[in-house]
Amino acid sequence: MPEKKKKPSIWRRLFGNRNTETNILAEEQIQSPGRMMLSNFLHNKLGMTGLIIFLLIFVFVFIGPYFIQIDLGDNDNTQIHVPPINSMLEVPKELDGNIQDIAAGATFGLGCDKDGKIYIWGYTKITDTIDLKDIPEEVLEAKIVSVAAGYDHAVALGDDGQLYVWGNKRLGQDRIPQELKVSRKKGGKNIIQIEAGYQCSGALTDEGNVYFWGNTNMCDLDVRKDYREGVKKFAIATYHYCLLMEDGSVVYGGIEKTNAFNRIPESLSSGVVDIAATGDTMAGVKENGEIIVWGNTAHSENKVPERVSAAEADDEEPVMTAKPLEIYGGRYHYTALMENGDVVSWGDNGHHQIDIPASVNEKDIETVFAGFYQNYAVDVDGDVHTWGLKGHPLGTDDLGRDILTRIINGGQITMTVGFVAVIIAIVIGVIMGGLAGYFGGKVDMLVMRIAEVFGAIPFLPFAMLLSAIIGTRIDVTKRMYLIMVVLGVLSWTGTCRLIRAQILAEREKEFVTAAQAMGVRERTIIFKHILPNVLNVLLVEATLSFATCMLTESTLSYLGFGVPLPSPSWGNMLSGANNSIVIQQYWWRWVFPSLIFGICTICINLVGDAIRDAVDPKSIGH
Amino acid sequence: MVVVFFIVSFVMYFLFNLIPSDPARLELEEMKKTLRPDVYEKMYRDLRESMGLDDPIIVRYARWLGVIPEKSGEFNGYFQANFGYSNFYKKPVVNVISAPIRTTVFMNIFATILALGITIPLGIWCAVHKGSRRDNFVQVFSIVGYSIPIYIIALVFIYVFAVLLRWFPVSGIGTPGANYTGLRAFLDELYYLGLPLIVMTFASLGGMSRYVRSAMIEALSMDHIRTARAKGVKERVVIYSHAWRNALLPVVTLIISWFLGIFSGSVLVESTFGISGMGRLYIQSLSNHDFEVSLFVQMFYTVVSLVGALLMDLIYGFVDPRIRVNK
Repeated sequence: MPEKKKKPSIWRRLFGNRNTETNILAEEQIQSPGRMMLSNFLHNKLGMTGLIIFLLIFVFVFIGPYFIQIDLGDNDNTQIHVPPINSMLEVPKELDGNIQDIAAGATFGLGCDKDGKIYIWGYTKITDTIDLKDIPEEVLEAKIVSVAAGYDHAVALGDDGQLYVWGNKRLGQDRIPQELKVSRKKGGKNIIQIEAGYQCSGALTDEGNVYFWGNTNMCDLDVRKDYREGVKKFAIATYHYCLLMEDGSVVYGGIEKTNAFNRIPESLSSGVVDIAATGDTMAGVKENGEIIVWGNTAHSENKVPERVSAAEADDEEPVMTAKPLEIYGGRYHYTALMENGDVVSWGDNGHHQIDIPASVNEKDIETVFAGFYQNYAVDVDGDVHTWGLKGHPLGTDDLGRDILTRIINGGQITMTVGFVAVIIAIVIGVIMGGLAGYFGGKVDMLVMRIAEVFGAIPFLPFAMLLSAIIGTRIDVTKRMYLIMVVLGVLSWTGTCRLIRAQILAEREKEFVTAAQAMGVRERTIIFKHILPNVLNVLLVEATLSFATCMLTESTLSYLGFGVPLPSPSWGNMLSGANNSIVIQQYWWRWVFPSLIFGICTICINLVGDAIRDAVDPKSIGH
Repeated sequence: MVVVFFIVSFVMYFLFNLIPSDPARLELEEMKKTLRPDVYEKMYRDLRESMGLDDPIIVRYARWLGVIPEKSGEFNGYFQANFGYSNFYKKPVVNVISAPIRTTVFMNIFATILALGITIPLGIWCAVHKGSRRDNFVQVFSIVGYSIPIYIIALVFIYVFAVLLRWFPVSGIGTPGANYTGLRAFLDELYYLGLPLIVMTFASLGGMSRYVRSAMIEALSMDHIRTARAKGVKERVVIYSHAWRNALLPVVTLIISWFLGIFSGSVLVESTFGISGMGRLYIQSLSNHDFEVSLFVQMFYTVVSLVGALLMDLIYGFVDPRIRVNK
């Protein structure tokens, strides 16, 4: 048998009582005060629960930001007030293996199977009264062959050539051109492609004619005379579109003279096989596999992956292992399907829309449907693979920002501010209280008068005042430091009084007198005899005032005088929530931040109480 | 106490003077176009001189308080009830603040009475039944109560009572458009203040009942209580006469400091419920850069807290004969 030394478990070593068990008959063991406190604390169930929950939240908000980074400029009008949902990519089972077409909308997906049945999933509510889930009867009855999804409307094409639009129609989303309203039986056009932009849609007939309709206030939807015929494919960005002509050239069809899409790169004047558009850019694939992106490439849409051989490919960077054949555009990203049946995505990754799961490239992909932040890839077996924005676990706020991200990052800010403020308050309090308590006399008088002055200042109004006067002249980061300092400087008086009282009390106790009588040096008395007794009280005070400081910070932020937007904090996340519309309809905006903040402060207070009970067993009332 | 008042008010005045503003130039702004530059410059300098803007800050402070006379020879400051002029409302600060002060004081006193009426019996009951299951429940509940910021409580209460049950209006003070008089107006106001008052009361329950409880426990553990019980004094007399009197001292401290706390704490309630009280006025004046109003509100809070501290000392002496007020 190999020697095996039995070690106490890590839990026991960290928290456990290391004393050996005593015989019942033996006298009760004498414990050092520190150990007794520890064991008292450990036996306080409420306190331990509080500590554990607090530590979990602490880890959550301090490690979380490394995984879920916040983009302060994040402002997405396609994701405003989305409730907690996680099913934006959940394609209905009936559709699996039988997919005809899928269209991805801002927060929903729309699909039809080979039998012409239509499905919709995700968050489909546009306004109180408009819900895309309410698919019109005629659409349900018709045999749908193709679908398209915009921001707040959906378009479907029946096998008889009939076009259907539902959803928000107020901005002309359903103003289908007269020529397309005639069904094919009655000699209408044969539509082969439909697409939808933000609030506009387009259709292409097999004769090469394109038609666009929708919100004409914002979109450039007219088609120039030269381009009304001979169109092979079109792609719609948010407000603009481009055309791929039969001769393999890409043109901008609209009548606007100067915009980001007019200046189409020279090389795209011939030999283009496919085009696609994101929100602000457009891209074309050439015969030789070259991909050219133009437009407003603010979200790194133009960082087309490098072409390498399959052997060189690693998992770190997305690369192109073969010649791309087709390209699809989301809102800020592109996905390309390559010759070898693999896919690659690039562009913005704010919603993981370019993180292709490994399982996708194990299969040969036949086609891809991409839109907004979603990707659907259908493999040769007909199975669908999805990646991109699954949803928002805690919903989004009025600017389309993810609440979970803001809670995590805001928690970090709130806790940091609270922590630093407490440190400042404690340091000042201990120094002042120590001076007053130890020296007494005139110093004591002076310190106590200063404390009185600070105590007479009404806390909240004064902090608001400082933040309003000084805060407007300094930048955002400095303002955060200002808040910390203001909180710290204004809240030291309590600590100071406590420390002073404690030192005064301890100085008079018998053991100090005894130590003095035994000739122990003054310094030793202070550090070895008085200070440990003060430390206990200080710990309680620090814990409790940590909670108070967090409360004050969030209060200031709630009123708009604390951590300035767009930096999140638990307080300012709630600042827009005090009206009945938000409270009632967008409950996730205030419930989750309140909940985590409430739990956090409750836990800190529980821990503080537990420490107090542990330090001073008398207070429990044995 | 008086010294503290002067120091604090000086700090306030100094802070507000950090804000770059030039009343002299403001006064001459309209004449600027009609005057020649050199005449304008001279007038400006004369005005600055007569307004005393170039004097050291301590002199200006004293004038602002009304301790020393203005250049014109008359006293005109806070002590003469001249609280300045609101640039935003275009009327003297006195007229701006009279209605909000009424609302805030009414609200706070009402909330105090409500809260005391609930917390003192509750605290005593918990102390007497210390350690029982119900006491433990109240303890945990009160931790929750004082840990959660008041505006979160307000949001929850609005959701429950105003949105779900529709018992109270969501915000505002007084039915819009209604011209009630007398009792009707009072009841209408009470209806609108109902929810804020409940929130304020509820928010103070946790902390206060804990405090009353611990003071009462302390008092009940004294020797004379045991003596009284041993003598066979009725339990009710023991609790309410012997113990409660001793617990009163810390409770008085609490009541006053808490009363001061809710004065500045009502900033939150007022802004959440859209009640035009002092707190809301303060926030508005700060964001409107209407600093004379802010300064007044700030001074109001300071005076209230100082008077509170003074009151605390006096009541101490009254409640506890051992302490003599010697200041």
